[in-house]
Amino acid sequence: MVKYNKIKILLIEDFADYASAVISMISAMGCNHIDHVISAEAAIQKCREVTYDLILSDYNLGDGKDGQQVFEELLHFKIISDDTCFIMITAEINASMVMAALEFKPDSYLAKPFNRQLLKSRVDKSLMKKEKFKPVLRAISRKKWQEATKLYQELLGNTSLYRQELKRLQLIIFKNTKTIKECQKHLEDELDVRVTPWALAELGKIYHSLKYFDKAEGIFKKMLMEFPYTIDGYDWLAKIQIILNKPIEAQQTIEKAIKRSPKLIKRQKSLGELAEKNGDNLVMMQAYRQAVKHGKHSAFSHADEYVKLTKSLGVRLKSIRSEDRDKLINEAKTVFSQLQSKFSKSSGVQLRGAVAHAEFSAIIDDQPNVLKQVKIASDEFDKLDENIGASECIEIATSLQQLGFSELSESVLEDGVEQYFDQKEFIKQVKKITKNKNLIANAQKVNKINNRAVKLFREKKYNHALTEFSLALDIAPNNINIALNRAQATLKKYQQSKNDPDLLYKTEIILSDIDRLSSNDIRYKRYLELLRLSQLMLQNTNN
Amino acid sequence: MTTQPKNDYFSLVLASTVHDMKNSLAMLGQSLNHILDEHNLNDPSSKIQKDVGIVQYESNRVNNGLMQLLALYKLENEQLPFSPSYHNLFEFIEEQTIILAQLLEAKNINCEICVDESLDAFFDANLLAIVIENILGNAIRYSKSKIIISSKIEDHLVIQINDDGMGYPEKMIDLEGDYMLGINQSTGSTGLGLFFAKQIASMHQNKSKTGYIVLKNGGQLNGGLFEIHIP
Repeated sequence: MVKYNKIKILLIEDFADYASAVISMISAMGCNHIDHVISAEAAIQKCREVTYDLILSDYNLGDGKDGQQVFEELLHFKIISDDTCFIMITAEINASMVMAALEFKPDSYLAKPFNRQLLKSRVDKSLMKKEKFKPVLRAISRKKWQEATKLYQELLGNTSLYRQELKRLQLIIFKNTKTIKECQKHLEDELDVRVTPWALAELGKIYHSLKYFDKAEGIFKKMLMEFPYTIDGYDWLAKIQIILNKPIEAQQTIEKAIKRSPKLIKRQKSLGELAEKNGDNLVMMQAYRQAVKHGKHSAFSHADEYVKLTKSLGVRLKSIRSEDRDKLINEAKTVFSQLQSKFSKSSGVQLRGAVAHAEFSAIIDDQPNVLKQVKIASDEFDKLDENIGASECIEIATSLQQLGFSELSESVLEDGVEQYFDQKEFIKQVKKITKNKNLIANAQKVNKINNRAVKLFREKKYNHALTEFSLALDIAPNNINIALNRAQATLKKYQQSKNDPDLLYKTEIILSDIDRLSSNDIRYKRYLELLRLSQLMLQNTNN
Repeated sequence: MTTQPKNDYFSLVLASTVHDMKNSLAMLGQSLNHILDEHNLNDPSSKIQKDVGIVQYESNRVNNGLMQLLALYKLENEQLPFSPSYHNLFEFIEEQTIILAQLLEAKNINCEICVDESLDAFFDANLLAIVIENILGNAIRYSKSKIIISSKIEDHLVIQINDDGMGYPEKMIDLEGDYMLGINQSTGSTGLGLFFAKQIASMHQNKSKTGYIVLKNGGQLNGGLFEIHIP
């Protein structure tokens, strides 16, 4: 039984009269801690301050984010935990369900209008379900499979209430305790009993991991024919079609998904990427337009979709000569200014944006602006305090090269090579652009040295490894991977004999010299860990 | 992808209008309850009970009609999401009676649920809910004092709604599925509800079996008997 006087509820509803109606229903249920906000932003702020047991949100929140987007942001940025119950209030349930990404499904949907009895019934059931599944979900997240299996079996008495959820959990546990072939058989048996979209999708994913790509394609196609609203099926099908080298079909698949569920930025971006590869500029333009539009209020938006949109607008401009030109030019100008304002703190994005702007200005014959933007780009490059991605580096260098600014282009490439010398695909592309033969030669040289050093490290020959890492750093002083490896090797060397604390100080210096490592970088965790270890060991020597 | 077909504009307008109307209905319902509470009018012996019943019934009818129209429009345009999953039968049916709780009370009708609590079945709960709500609403209108909702699973799921009213007119039973022909402006029956129920039933398929509905007279209460069969 839910103790309503002990729980905290947040209501996200922008229609004031309706909100008071719902609040009075909730009060009648016995709850005395009910907060009400009218916007997504206010909701996110409130959730940072208070831990709620239940969040009731209208799907429609006026301009700006919708309820689903709020939920995704709250979960993704861990502002709420998995323990928080989330119920979506909506005018049309199935339509709202289709907008939810697979990983972010609300606990329940409630269609308006609803009476107080239905609200209570639904809230009771959702909270109870949450309680019941908390232990097994916790065991799963901690990867305690024996415990998870035991807890799962205890829940089997509730099969008629939670069949789908139990099947899902069972499969997760199987995937981590049985062979993949056993999982395959399990799903095939499921499908013999009844063909459900969930079982088809899971079997498709298993075929994918077993690399039976044709079979996987077949299953997802079958699923989508029978259940065309299982949206994540399209994402998987497109992924598999790309592997099977069917980029045009993949594009068509994603277009079908978007027709039914247009708001997911990730999907629009995938479409944009595919369309670009397929040379379909119109679709690319439309996809990135949607990504920018839906990204306006989203915390998941990146500079990428803005830049790509300007590129496709530029391509479009090259082929039309009518009044539409002005419209497109204005659209591009707006996007460039959004890039500047939305990502003003990121020098990497400003560099990329300025170069894209220069390229665009060249297309519309605005030579003065070309020069102006390249100057901005050059300034941003000089004060670059973060790494630009490998593909972004190629994009920027190519544009600069084509615009005739080869010196800046080579500098950008040099910077990129220093970071990504070990990425074959990247180096291949650099080779095509650069006129600096030494650049490639150096890349190959430092790659060799680094590989040697890593090998020595694995053989526990830390002294030799360190010598090689130093050599490598001479050529590529800003490379983060080498620096981290060097730090790790130094720590290992210390651990071998434990009689030279100087090594620990050295490690700290190496780590503090690392520039441009943002907290979003996947290597950041490793960096923090090494720092922590060296400090811990230092403490121990002082004791 | 460059020009929007006319359909899309109507689709957008439809979606926002429905949203609006549902908000209005929600406010109507809430205000009615408020008025009843404030003036202690929830007493079944109260003079205006009949009117309360009418307001409840008609606003339910409007909401239900709205949902069916929207769903049928989407169905015609192949835009109706069909999302089946496993659901506990008792809870599903109980929920429909909870939704109509005020109406049942206002009309003083005893609604009994005869469903084994350990049964679950695979179907689209949101779409089926619209059907059950509609049929149940009709049953409430035509029944005298009692309704029985029962459900069983033999080789497929069957849900039955039986009332103790006068039953379905012969003409309607004879239509055997062509319910659109049953549109009769004078009786207020548009056949929409049954047509919709038939569509939703047939969306459910399993191993080449398709869902369907049956209208009869009789059952335990000797009135109208509606059956929906889901494979």
